[in-house]
Amino acid sequence: MSLAVRYALLAAAVLIAALLSLVIGPRSDVGLGNILHLLFVDDGSLARSTVVDLRLPRTLVAGLVGANLALAGLALQAVTRNPLASESILGINQGAALGVAIAVTVPSLMIVNLDVMAIIGAIAAGFLTFTIAGGLTGRLDSIRLVLAGVTVGAFSFACVRFTFTLEDNLSRLVLSWVSADISAVRLAQAGPLALWAALGLAASLLLAQGFNILSLGDGASQGLGVDPRRTRFLGALLAAILTGASVAAAGPVMFVGLVVPHLCRLWFGQNHRHLIPAVALGGAGLVLLADAMSKLVRFPYETPLGTICALIGAPYFLIAAIRARRMA
Amino acid sequence: MTGTATVALRRHRDRRALLLIGGAAVLTLLAALWSLGVGAVAIPVDVIVNTLFNLDGEKQTYIIMRSRLPRIVLALMAGGALALSGTIIQAVIRNPLASPGIIGINSGAALFAVGMTILLPTVPQTWLPLAASLGGLTAAGIVMLVAHRRLLSAAHLALIGVAVGFVFESGVDYFLITSSDAERSAPLIWLTGSLWGRTWDHVGMSLAPLAVLAGMAMVLAYRLDLITLGEATATGLGLDVGRQRLIMLSVATLLASVSVAVVGVMGFIGLMAPHIARHLIGGGHRLLLPLAMLVGMLLVTLADGVGRAIAPPIEVSAGILSALIGAPFFVYVMLTTASEQET
Repeated sequence: MSLAVRYALLAAAVLIAALLSLVIGPRSDVGLGNILHLLFVDDGSLARSTVVDLRLPRTLVAGLVGANLALAGLALQAVTRNPLASESILGINQGAALGVAIAVTVPSLMIVNLDVMAIIGAIAAGFLTFTIAGGLTGRLDSIRLVLAGVTVGAFSFACVRFTFTLEDNLSRLVLSWVSADISAVRLAQAGPLALWAALGLAASLLLAQGFNILSLGDGASQGLGVDPRRTRFLGALLAAILTGASVAAAGPVMFVGLVVPHLCRLWFGQNHRHLIPAVALGGAGLVLLADAMSKLVRFPYETPLGTICALIGAPYFLIAAIRARRMA
Repeated sequence: MTGTATVALRRHRDRRALLLIGGAAVLTLLAALWSLGVGAVAIPVDVIVNTLFNLDGEKQTYIIMRSRLPRIVLALMAGGALALSGTIIQAVIRNPLASPGIIGINSGAALFAVGMTILLPTVPQTWLPLAASLGGLTAAGIVMLVAHRRLLSAAHLALIGVAVGFVFESGVDYFLITSSDAERSAPLIWLTGSLWGRTWDHVGMSLAPLAVLAGMAMVLAYRLDLITLGEATATGLGLDVGRQRLIMLSVATLLASVSVAVVGVMGFIGLMAPHIARHLIGGGHRLLLPLAMLVGMLLVTLADGVGRAIAPPIEVSAGILSALIGAPFFVYVMLTTASEQET
């Protein structure tokens, strides 16, 4: 199958997932038959405003968050040469969550806005994890990296949990946000996310060659005249920024960055130039499907997106961890 | 070395060990006494003593006897149990990174306990230790099965444990999120490892099992010494390694699970206490087990007391505090063991 056909199939799958995410819901007057009409024609009906004001923002945010997180995961796996790496395993997700939790609890500590706080948290957590595991020098012990990341994550989450105990109203807010409940997002939140996704995609594509060379090993990389440290630094920074932006908008969605690059590698091979667009599409598709499921699991009640992703991703991580013997 | 010198040395070591154990016991008692006094209502020491020993003078019977004393007794029990569990697990797996939390016991116990509270609300709470034990055994069973079938490095075993923990935790999250606000609040506080709102009932339902299990742990001390020598040596010395390992891990799992059932998830105590105790007293389990138990008691009592003392009337969960101290400790252990393995 040629590359173009595979991309087209994947894009079609993403569109179907997006339609599902738009159509599924407790209203009976929104269905596959009239969804396009409702989206593009303003007939002033309640169904129209449900689709445009409530469901569309959520679908957009789900897709964009998925793309961002998947790209971040791919960058981290390339940078660490570790198939288990991803933003939730390395504690970056939880660090971003801590940044947001601090900003929400102590507004006077807020720097610029929530996005920036989340990105600062993500960078700090990533830096800590990499430092513990041996720095960006290339002698990264793969299992130690994961354990360091999990510990940094546990530490950050203990701090986030601490904010639960401060005040009841705050705890409800933080809890719904930690479980990545995106049912109340606004259209305005999709704009910045789209910008980050576009920048992330472009930056990833620029780094693709570097990622490919990095996968050959540090020696080969230096032999080809590419400084591996530079690619590593830029890749990790990119991952932290994409994660921070997503977490600020939707909360810490776990495991997307782990699962999507793995699945895409099976279908698109190891070349990062081909992989990057596929991973962005795949991430969007997976989270859109998870969003659709989040409305179906306990219909008509909703289950937050983060919970669905954790239920899918955690068993996958276990299988990957068991099979990780070869890499160690 | 001559016989008398050996005996003298052993006597010296025993005396030092007894001093350490006595010192730890005194410290734990002092910490418990201090912890009785702190909180939303600060109570001076003389009032505490008056209340405890029913002396004349000012008393605070309600707060101390109904609220603080049971939770401190529980803190002592849970801390001791987690520490014993961690000591046994580290000996059996011969892995300094191992602890009840890291091989998934905490999450397994938490899932079954939360599941029971939410799915079977009519079942009395006294069944919680049983449900938690089942969960702990399930999680530990999965981890040990994987570890048994492939010879794993210390770090890789920890990785599998973490992954199993993630699976069970995602289940816990699902239960919490899908339950109503009222059902959720109790398990939520409980899950962060809080001793808030504990009564004598909790003490009653866990005291007997924990006491029996602690006794079993002490009986296992000599066999734990043997098993740390390695499988071949232990077998050569007449130990049925496979069977003993199963018994030891079951005791350790049950100790941790029952304590999770009553105080919730308190990570890293089972990691820190054995390390601190081993650093003080060395590897012989006859002395290590009691000292580790005391250290565990001290840590949890302090975590609980400090959590109440930081900003009364707000309480910071003991589990959160122990994670804040324990996570850096885990990193420290990981870094030092990794450098040992390299040399």
